Amino acid sequence: MNAYLLELAQALISLAVAPLLVGFIGWLKARLQGRRGAPPWQPYFVLRKLFSKEVIVSEHASWLFRFAPYVVFGSGVAVTLLIPLFCVPLPFDAMGDLLMVVYLMLLGTFFLALAGLDPGTAFGGMGASREMTVAAIAEPTIALAIFSLALRAGSTNLGQIVVNTLADPTVALNAGHLLAFVALFVVTLAETGRIPIDNPSTHLELTMIHEAMILEHSGRHLALIEWASGLKLLIFFSLLANLFVPWGVATTLSPVYLLIALPIWIGKLGLLAVVVAVLETRLAKLRLFRVPELLSMSFVLALLAVISSFLLR
Amino acid sequence: MLFLLLLLPSLLAALLALVVRPYRPAVGWSNAVLSLAAFGAALGVAGHAIAGEILVWGPGDLFRADSLSALLMVCVSAVAAMTLFLSPGLGRSAAFTDRQLRRYHLFINLFIFSMLLAVSVNNIGIMWIAIEATTVFSAMVIPLTLSKASVEASWKYILICSVGIALAFVGTVLGYFDFVALSGRAENALNWPVLLNFAPHLHPEVMRIAFIFLLIGYGTKAGLAPMHTWLPDAHSESPATLSALMSGVLLAVAMYALLRWKMVVDATLGDGFTDTLLLTLGLLTLFIAAFSLVRASNYKRMLAYSSVEHTGLICIGLALGPIGTFAAMYHIVNHAAAKSMMFFLSGRILHRFHSTELGAVRGLLKVMPATAILFAAGMLALVGLPPFGLFMSEFALVRAGFVTGHPWLMALLLVLLAVAFVALLRHLNSMLHGTPTAEIATGEDHRWGLVPMLMSVAVLLVLGFYLPASFQSLLDGIAALVTH
Amino acid sequence: MDETLFAPLTTLGASLVLLFGVVLLWRRSLNAYIQAFKWQSVILSGVFFLVGYFGHDPELYGVGVALLGLKVFFIPHLLGRLRKRVGADHEITPYVNIATSLLIGGMLVLLAYVLMRPVVTVSTLPTRGALPLALGLVFIGLFVLITRKKAITQVVGFLVMENGIALLAVLGTYGIPLIIEMGVFLDLLMGILVMQVFIYQIQDTFESIDVDRLTHLKH
Repeated sequence: MNAYLLELAQALISLAVAPLLVGFIGWLKARLQGRRGAPPWQPYFVLRKLFSKEVIVSEHASWLFRFAPYVVFGSGVAVTLLIPLFCVPLPFDAMGDLLMVVYLMLLGTFFLALAGLDPGTAFGGMGASREMTVAAIAEPTIALAIFSLALRAGSTNLGQIVVNTLADPTVALNAGHLLAFVALFVVTLAETGRIPIDNPSTHLELTMIHEAMILEHSGRHLALIEWASGLKLLIFFSLLANLFVPWGVATTLSPVYLLIALPIWIGKLGLLAVVVAVLETRLAKLRLFRVPELLSMSFVLALLAVISSFLLR
Repeated sequence: MLFLLLLLPSLLAALLALVVRPYRPAVGWSNAVLSLAAFGAALGVAGHAIAGEILVWGPGDLFRADSLSALLMVCVSAVAAMTLFLSPGLGRSAAFTDRQLRRYHLFINLFIFSMLLAVSVNNIGIMWIAIEATTVFSAMVIPLTLSKASVEASWKYILICSVGIALAFVGTVLGYFDFVALSGRAENALNWPVLLNFAPHLHPEVMRIAFIFLLIGYGTKAGLAPMHTWLPDAHSESPATLSALMSGVLLAVAMYALLRWKMVVDATLGDGFTDTLLLTLGLLTLFIAAFSLVRASNYKRMLAYSSVEHTGLICIGLALGPIGTFAAMYHIVNHAAAKSMMFFLSGRILHRFHSTELGAVRGLLKVMPATAILFAAGMLALVGLPPFGLFMSEFALVRAGFVTGHPWLMALLLVLLAVAFVALLRHLNSMLHGTPTAEIATGEDHRWGLVPMLMSVAVLLVLGFYLPASFQSLLDGIAALVTH
Repeated sequence: MDETLFAPLTTLGASLVLLFGVVLLWRRSLNAYIQAFKWQSVILSGVFFLVGYFGHDPELYGVGVALLGLKVFFIPHLLGRLRKRVGADHEITPYVNIATSLLIGGMLVLLAYVLMRPVVTVSTLPTRGALPLALGLVFIGLFVLITRKKAITQVVGFLVMENGIALLAVLGTYGIPLIIEMGVFLDLLMGILVMQVFIYQIQDTFESIDVDRLTHLKH
């Protein structure tokens, strides 16, 4: 099959699956809490509703406010083109460098924070500053965690990491691998705004981080941002799944392998979704001043992972 | 056999203290007599060492005594004997309760046992165990009377010294590791002669790191700066007799451990590395001690800082080659005699004046003339004035420094000693003269308690005039160990 | 079991031991510290058993069992009782705050790697890769001891240091001679008993086990 078509299909499938992933987690949490909950495909309805609604922009906002949702969405889509989701190697993989991925995601976060500051509301500024506190420690952790894998694999190209790990399975057992996994998992919770760092379903001033930043957006802007956060969740889950447990990722472009790889990937995402849902139900949200402590812990884990990968070679 | 006679008396004494409830003065007296047996055994071992024999005994050569061990055995057992004769609980005053006395006698004898064990075993690992045990046992005696100060002092002591000893253990493990890496595991690998024999083959980089850990570790126990912070607190808050033991000989035992390891590391690395480190730490210690003495406001802390000063001197001596080691070992003996005597006397002063503040002690010459004279003699000895032994050992030290080519360092050392000299004499002056407060009774009680002090002064005077031949050959034996 | 699994398994064990040590830098609750020490000792005994199996040294099984008895059952029980009696719960304001402590902890492990470079190159044992982790644990224990204010935390820091040293010994030399190992345990036991007595005394005289209050002995 044409590799480029496959790339495109990868992006489209991600876009399609992302809202389902978010909805699935919400539905599972509801069930675990003893409620019926909205069905897992509820986010599609939400997106459709939002796209048909009017956009209201504050008169104090600048062009940045209107521009940001597109940047966030675009960067999310760009990352899905670059990372290995269910098949390696793909043509854009050569650009799918660790740093590229980290920068693109940070770009999205950055613009989201700016757009929160732009209208000059209290909630937006507060949300932006809280988000930056989280991002300040989380972003280096992502870089370090994936870098420790890159050291083992000998390349910072994510697709290459997957291929190398597939070729040498005992790598998965070593300490650096596990430390990096834990670090990246904590960062996933932080970046996607899940409990214990942030509550995705709250609008209380005391507790919201992500929601505070996007409070001012409406209509299609809000739809794009919500979709982008779903994509972010999908991206992080895919990174967690494919970099650490790469079995199931197709290594050739034949249709048979792809047909097997796709459900396996969805299955891994589902598994991670279950874990996150259970964690969200079991844990309480951390008080804000405790969040840097948790994130520093994951940073140290990532640092230890790098140290052990580098010096234990 | 002599080893058994050396070690068993203190164990027996501890057992007696444990078993006899409630505490009776007879226990104290029998402990004191038992310690004399240990002292006799130590003299016996020293006799063998002077004759050039190395005594080895026990399964797997567990015990071994060369000149170095013999010297320290004699020091430890001598000070221990004096301590036990001057200990509370021998039927004189009722300053402590029976429970306190029982605890005191139990743990002080265990403390003496572990110190003697440390200097008589062959295996550097078991030496470590014994030194760790000294920390634990002495810590139990420090807070004999509970007060905020003594609780604080004992906590700092056990924490800092345990950490130090743990770091020394890291060094020991690294040394053992290197041996194992080269020649495989062996039961007797940590036996000192085996290690010394093998030392030229050990890896320099590993032994360098090992020595740093060992220096920090045993240095903490010896009171080297900057790990000395526990010393003034612990030595000033403990009962006077324990302070005498700790200041007089425990610091020396820690330096003994350091010297043993230094000999091994020097065989691997040559002595440049260890000498530089020891010189630096020694001078730093001396510096901090000298200036702390100026600021001292409590006479027991003053004596403790003086111990720190002398440990610094000993450390410098060890870094100055065989002649320096000779001087350092000579200094250990002198210091043990002088410092223990000073602490015993400080116990008497405390008993009379009820305060450890320098400001509270005035007119000592009027209040307790005999004590005052002995105290003055001891202080003059500690500052290094002739005709006392410390003058001779400090002279030998400075000479060693000049011979090994460190004239500027010796000049610095003399300046620091001068600072300490002035500080101590000023404090002595303020204590001896002036008018005491009205409620202080005059006259000595318990004059027989002064006899051991007189013996110490006699030893110091003798050593100040000439070096007995047997003692000299012992010191020569030690210097020979260090020469290669 | 396959010989090639020896090195990765011991590295895994050593990393877990180090991780439990890092937990001391992260959490605030004294009970969490005692539990972390307990589980760390469990994994440490596991490492002892592992080295005993692969290194063909049955003595280490005995040492591992002694370690289990002492550090997993007896000492945590003692400390737990002490903590309840003294009534201390949380390390509220350590001298160095949590986030900075964690970062310094990472730096300490890096320092341990640098220091152990010559040692690792000298060794030929398959377990040598994890030696820096053991030294890192010693440093982290030392750091906890220095920067925390509750006396119980300082004791746990000291215990963690001892665990690090034991790990260093077993990884570097497949265990030090038995008699010395037993002596070390004995010393540790006595040390902990004495420290425990002292903490009761501190509680009695100062009405708290905050080491910050022990400031009577200035110069």
